[in-house]
Amino acid sequence: MRVVIAEDQALMREGLALMLERDGAEVVGQAADATDLLRKVGAHRPDLVVADIRMPPRNADDGLRAALQIRAERPKIAVLLLSQHVQRSYAEELVEQGTVGVGYLLKQRVADVASFLADVHRVAAGGCVLDPEVVATMMSRPRRDDLLGRFTPRQLEVLTLMAEGRSNGAIAEQLTLTSKAVTRHVSHIYETLGLEVAEEDHRRVLAVVRYLSR
Amino acid sequence: MRLRPGGALLAPALAGLAVVILGFAAVEVVLMIEGPAGPLWAVLLFPAYGLLYVGTGLLAWTRRPSNRMGALIVAGGFVWIVAGLPNAGIPALIAIGLIIATVPLAVVVHLLHAFPSGRLRGRASRVTVLAGYFVVLVLQAPVYLFGQGAGGPTTVLQIADRHDLAQIGHWVQWVAGAAVMVATAVILFGRLRRAEPARRRVLAPLDAYGILAVLFVPIGGIVVTNWFPEDGLELAVAQLTVMAGVPIAFVAAVLSGGFARTEEVQELGALLGAEEGRPALRAALRQVLGDDSLDLLFWVAVDPPRWVDREGVEVELPRSDPERSLAEVRLGERLVGAIVYDATLIADHELVADAARVTALALDNERLTVELLASREGLRVSRTRLIEATDAERRRIARDLHDGLQTRLVLLAMQAGSAAPEDETAAELSRGLQEAIVELRQLVDGVVPASLTERGLYAAAAELTDRMPIPVELDFEPLPAELPVGVETAGYFVVSEAFSNVVKHSRAEELHLSITRPDGALRIEVVDNGVGGAHFGGGLRGLADRVDALSGRLVVESPPGGGTRILAEVPCG
Repeated sequence: MRVVIAEDQALMREGLALMLERDGAEVVGQAADATDLLRKVGAHRPDLVVADIRMPPRNADDGLRAALQIRAERPKIAVLLLSQHVQRSYAEELVEQGTVGVGYLLKQRVADVASFLADVHRVAAGGCVLDPEVVATMMSRPRRDDLLGRFTPRQLEVLTLMAEGRSNGAIAEQLTLTSKAVTRHVSHIYETLGLEVAEEDHRRVLAVVRYLSR
Repeated sequence: MRLRPGGALLAPALAGLAVVILGFAAVEVVLMIEGPAGPLWAVLLFPAYGLLYVGTGLLAWTRRPSNRMGALIVAGGFVWIVAGLPNAGIPALIAIGLIIATVPLAVVVHLLHAFPSGRLRGRASRVTVLAGYFVVLVLQAPVYLFGQGAGGPTTVLQIADRHDLAQIGHWVQWVAGAAVMVATAVILFGRLRRAEPARRRVLAPLDAYGILAVLFVPIGGIVVTNWFPEDGLELAVAQLTVMAGVPIAFVAAVLSGGFARTEEVQELGALLGAEEGRPALRAALRQVLGDDSLDLLFWVAVDPPRWVDREGVEVELPRSDPERSLAEVRLGERLVGAIVYDATLIADHELVADAARVTALALDNERLTVELLASREGLRVSRTRLIEATDAERRRIARDLHDGLQTRLVLLAMQAGSAAPEDETAAELSRGLQEAIVELRQLVDGVVPASLTERGLYAAAAELTDRMPIPVELDFEPLPAELPVGVETAGYFVVSEAFSNVVKHSRAEELHLSITRPDGALRIEVVDNGVGGAHFGGGLRGLADRVDALSGRLVVESPPGGGTRILAEVPCG
């Protein structure tokens, strides 16, 4: 797996590179700002980009903008965005442009090395990963229809994991449910929310996120 | 050299001038007596009328040295005397006299337009007077270049004896001259009709006589040539006499008080003293001095001493601008302000200085108001500076925490997390660090929210609505341009303070947030349907100060039981 890393804090950048290389990835480029990131992606055509959202030159959402541009020009390159805080609108913008091989995680997730690397692999493999905290924000938003109020706590857990991009298998494992039970919960959720049935995990992220951001 | 009113040089200079002109006239008279070119009584009219002008002019000049009327009349008189030279019988003098022959007419036109200030006011007057000089100086040329006609004196100027050309030239000059005269009559009449009663009394004698005089020249010419073709001499004498009457009318105007020393300035006093419809000081000065760019500055003598405009905002004096002049206004010895005017429009500084003396008291009154405004403006500016400094500091702290400490904690957590999975201490450490990171993030968000830094007001406001326990109806008008940082920060604090009040006190079920940009300003309105009765204290008070420092306003309506409406409007200029 060939990776380009973009992060303006040098220590953090080095740390990420070290971690990914230990995991067997090949870090082909390291960028310190969004412009440099676009240049290195053009030069190296990596499989995966891991980028900070707040970066020079504007020190605003430059990393996100660069990521969206990369996704628009080369949809095959997977992108994992990191940020020190989560913002619902960033997640929405990202998944609206495509849910194959995208991820948005809090930067502090790198502390849990094993699960962070698992997320990296899921994104690189075409999955969709959203940080639990951004999903929690989406779930807890006040809404007029109150459809979520009809769900049991268990069903809400399933919905949350769906929004985070988990597969039925992963949900079953995490909640220690049978896969049959998960399937039942999922179809009940689809029915209640009036969502289009989508078999692939990354597609159902889009459906759920769209519903939650309504 | 400029002759100032009361200047010691003025009286001897004018006396000298009088002697020179008298001498000149005397020589002319002697020459006329030696070689008369017509009836002696008639040719003597030129120096006689000329001296009448000079006398009147000198009188005016002495009475009011800063007014140009006197100089103009003296010059006119001199021109009259020169115009009599063709009757002196010496070829060179005849030539000069012929060139100047009709100039007295233009001078009379000039005098009438310039009365009473001595300055030409308005485009129409300037154009007409210029046209008059053109007619008498340029259109006169064919007359002396192509001959004086049968029987007239031959001149050294003649280049060809072309009576026909001379006739055409004469006719063109006559038509153009008549047009100037009629235009003058129309302008004088219009001026007289529009004038205030007080001013009309000043203008009436001279203007009325002037209208008659300028109309008499062309019309009289037509009448006499058609009905009494033989009476050329009488016509010329009659025209001369009517023109010579102008200074007499002028004397009448002087005697009726119209040519007082401070005519304009008196007018100013009358304007400012009026019981009703009193114009503002600046408007009055503009009207009276005829300079619409005129402006007033005020001197604020305390902390720090400075010039301010009418809004109390500090200004620089226009020292470097050659077109702007400045007359200081002093009340006694104390500097109170200044009149800034267009030096190309008002050449007479003394006039403005007079106006400055007359208006010193009125200006000092206005200054008291301006001083209050200035101190308020000073306060506002220093408050804005304080808030800006605080905001900059907040942003710096947020950035340092975000870039420095937070990154460092994440790295430490990463190191702890990289330890062997069975190392319980490391796992504990990693969890503890992650909690610290979350706390730090919340702290940073409280200082300056990351969404505001990264995405601006709308994103930050949307983020706030996500955390509300009740649904928020949003009405965002897209931003046409980026907001100034101070305005954006103030806007964010308005929304966050309003929201936190809703959560704490309102018991509202519905909440509406609108952010719009009327006329480029920022307008934020938060309306809930809660219990109302919100106190305008604590957070809201601080918010009002912040908004006020940006020249905006914050309105809180919260009748008990009637919901709460918080409205903030902040200009973005």
